[in-house]
Amino acid sequence: MDLDRFLRDPLSRRRFFRMSGVSVAGGSAMFLAACGGDDTDTPATGPDESDAADVEILNSALDLELMAVAAYKAGAMLLKGEVLAVGRQFLEHEQEHADGLATAIKDAGGRPNRSKPSYDFPQLKSQTDVLRFAVDLENTAIAAYIDALPKLGKGDLRATASAIVANEAEHVAVLLGALGEQQVPDAFVVGKAA
Amino acid sequence: MVPPLVPRARILIADGAAGTAQIAEFERDRRELIRRGLGLGGAVIAASSIPLLLSVRNAFAATDNDADILKSAITLERTAVLVYGAAIDSKLLSEGFGEVARRFRDHEKEHADALITALTDLGGTPPAPPSAKDIEGLNDLKSQGDVANFAIELEMASLAAYYDAQGKLADAKLLQAGASIMANEAQHLVVLRQTVKRDRVPNAFETGAK
Repeated sequence: MDLDRFLRDPLSRRRFFRMSGVSVAGGSAMFLAACGGDDTDTPATGPDESDAADVEILNSALDLELMAVAAYKAGAMLLKGEVLAVGRQFLEHEQEHADGLATAIKDAGGRPNRSKPSYDFPQLKSQTDVLRFAVDLENTAIAAYIDALPKLGKGDLRATASAIVANEAEHVAVLLGALGEQQVPDAFVVGKAA
Repeated sequence: MVPPLVPRARILIADGAAGTAQIAEFERDRRELIRRGLGLGGAVIAASSIPLLLSVRNAFAATDNDADILKSAITLERTAVLVYGAAIDSKLLSEGFGEVARRFRDHEKEHADALITALTDLGGTPPAPPSAKDIEGLNDLKSQGDVANFAIELEMASLAAYYDAQGKLADAKLLQAGASIMANEAQHLVVLRQTVKRDRVPNAFETGAK
């Protein structure tokens, strides 16, 4: 399976975007526009949103985090030296996100999803392949979290989801650096909706 | 390490009244920032600017009103533009780090412009711009390392402020823009930390906390 197809395909990702119900902004220009005015297609939510809605969104996020954990594990064998250390560190971060989401889901009365027995990742043949795959996964997660953010009912969850977005963006900056690319290409980090 | 999805205690000052414990926490934060600011690189790094940054953070925490949060964010971003601008003019930076500082200054300017547009659309009026002289410690920076460490403090304070705001903003698009700006500031931190050889991504949850 090629990378683009994979990123379009995962069930968890589709569910995540469907839950969010808003379209992703594709760049800083859109964000400049988005900051001002009309929000008719993205109604603000408040603390009255039900826990059940939060649980569904959080479980979709958990699916993505568990997939990221699996991806970093799968890619580790192709990484060397400092990049391997980075991969291990980011794997731990994704696991922390997953653990935190699972706790939040339980606190809201839900049952956390579990990791899948296997993931149909694209074939990775080199360290560069792993880095590019990781960049794409991280960007997809960023776009998904930003899309879903307004649908989370509780302010604390919105703040924490934002802290996860910021961490995933840090990962992207490090990974782009390892690829020899500009680490901070845009003033507004919106990820990439496949 | 931040406990997952357990909100950190924040400075919540409703209607101007703060509890003793909240004030004590704020003071701990302030003292810690000043201590670290003084300790970094053996230089006195802008201790006088730190209360300014914390006051902005406190302003975020003190309101649930989107327009007031935007005003505070505009001041924060304009402060960052001034700091990076002063760093660029300081002649302390290598060519490479100078390019980084210019890029980051431009990002902060883009944030400020977007936030001003959003505030204007809400019917608000942007606050008076801060002045470089409000950030007196900038003149105490003696090396590129000092600049990078100072910028780290600035970006961390900014992240902490946005983290506070994200739990309060009501407008969906502002929430999304806030997360997008937070993520950009976090990427700035990665580059700044690697400049001074610190762990580039020390925490799984980037909240601006240590």
